Amino acid sequence: MEQLGPALLALAAATLGSLGGIGGAILLVPLLVVTGTSAAEAAPLGLLMVAAASIAAGPRQLRERAVNHRLGMASELLASTGAVVGALVSGALSDRLLSYVLAAVAVGAAVAGSFRSGLRNPPDPACGPGDVGERVGGLAGAYPLGNGVVPYRPARLRGGLALMGLAGVVAGGSGASGGFIKTPALSELMRVPSRVAAATTTFTVGITASAALCIFALQGRIDVELAPGVIVASLLGGGVGARLQSRVAPAMIRRLLGVLLVVVALLLVVRA
Amino acid sequence: MSAGESAGRQPIPPGQVSTIRGRYQIPGLVWLTRLLMPLGFVAAVLDGDAGIALGTAVVVAVVAAPLLRVGWLTFRWRQERDTRFVLVGCGVLGVVVVGVVLAALGVGA
Repeated sequence: MEQLGPALLALAAATLGSLGGIGGAILLVPLLVVTGTSAAEAAPLGLLMVAAASIAAGPRQLRERAVNHRLGMASELLASTGAVVGALVSGALSDRLLSYVLAAVAVGAAVAGSFRSGLRNPPDPACGPGDVGERVGGLAGAYPLGNGVVPYRPARLRGGLALMGLAGVVAGGSGASGGFIKTPALSELMRVPSRVAAATTTFTVGITASAALCIFALQGRIDVELAPGVIVASLLGGGVGARLQSRVAPAMIRRLLGVLLVVVALLLVVRA
Repeated sequence: MSAGESAGRQPIPPGQVSTIRGRYQIPGLVWLTRLLMPLGFVAAVLDGDAGIALGTAVVVAVVAAPLLRVGWLTFRWRQERDTRFVLVGCGVLGVVVVGVVLAALGVGA
C-alpha cells in the first residue's frame, strides 16, 4: 500500500498541472519531497510522469499537426545535453542542496506560469492546406487554425536554444519537466505560435526526461515499485485535466498553481 | 505583452513540406498508452518479484518510447534526404549514449 500515497499525489498533480497547462511534475516532485520522499528518489518519479504525459498527449497533438519535430529535435540537442549533465551532477549533490534547487525551480515555474502571454499568429489567406507542416531542411513551418493556415518562422535561435539547455539542466537536476522554460522560450522569445510551442514542448520534454532517466536508472535511483502507480496516475490525471480544461480558465488555474508552488517551495526550504 | 496579442503575420516559409504526418507515430503512441494503463495498474498492485518485473517493463517502455520516436524521425528524415536533421537526430541519441557511458563509469555517483 506504500504505492498509494505517491500515486494519489501524482493523480492530483497531473490533473492540476494539465488543467493549468504547466505539467504535473513541477508539482509532484516538491510534494513528494515535502511528504518525506528524498529529493534524489522523487526526481526520477517526476520525470517518469513527464515521459508518460508526453506519450499520452502525442497522438492528439500529431493529429492537430501542431508539433514541429525539426524545431523540437534541434532544441533537444541542447536540452538532452543539459539533462544528462543535470542528472549526473544531481547524483553527487546532497539531498538538502537538491531540495533548495527544487524550491528555486518551483518558484521559477510559478513566476513563468503567471506571466505567460499566449501569443497568437494570424492565419495567412495565401496559405492552403498543402502548406501545413514543417519544412525539409529548416525550422519553419505552418499549422492549421480554424479554416486558415498560420505560417511561422522561429527567430532568435541562439537565445532560445540556450534556454533549452537550461531547461534540460533543470529537468535532469530537479525532476521537473523544464517545460515552463521551454514553452515561453519558444513562444515569447523565438516567436513560435503558442499552440506549436506547447505541442513541440510536449514532444521534447519526453525526450529530455528519457535522457535523464537513463542516467538515473544506472545510478539505481528509479523505484520500480512506486513508478508504475505514478505512471498510471499521470496518464489518468492528464486525461481528466485535459477534459476539464474547457470548463475552467487555465490562466486562473495557473495563478492558483503559482501560489501553491510558492507555498511548497517555502515548505521545502523549511524542511531542508 | 497581453494575452492573445498578435505576433503579426509571418511570411510563408519557402521549401519542400515534410511528408511526416504521424501515420505510424499516432497508432504506436495510442497503443502504448492503452497498454501502459492496465500493465501499470497490475504492476502497482502485484507484490513480489512479479510486480517488480512488470514494473520494470513498464518503466523501460516509458523511457524507451521517446527515444524510439527520435530514432524513427531520424530514419524518416533520411528518407526525405534531410542530412542536416539526420545529424541532429543522431546527435540527440549520441548525447544519451555518452550520458549512459559516463553514468556506467560512475561519473556523478
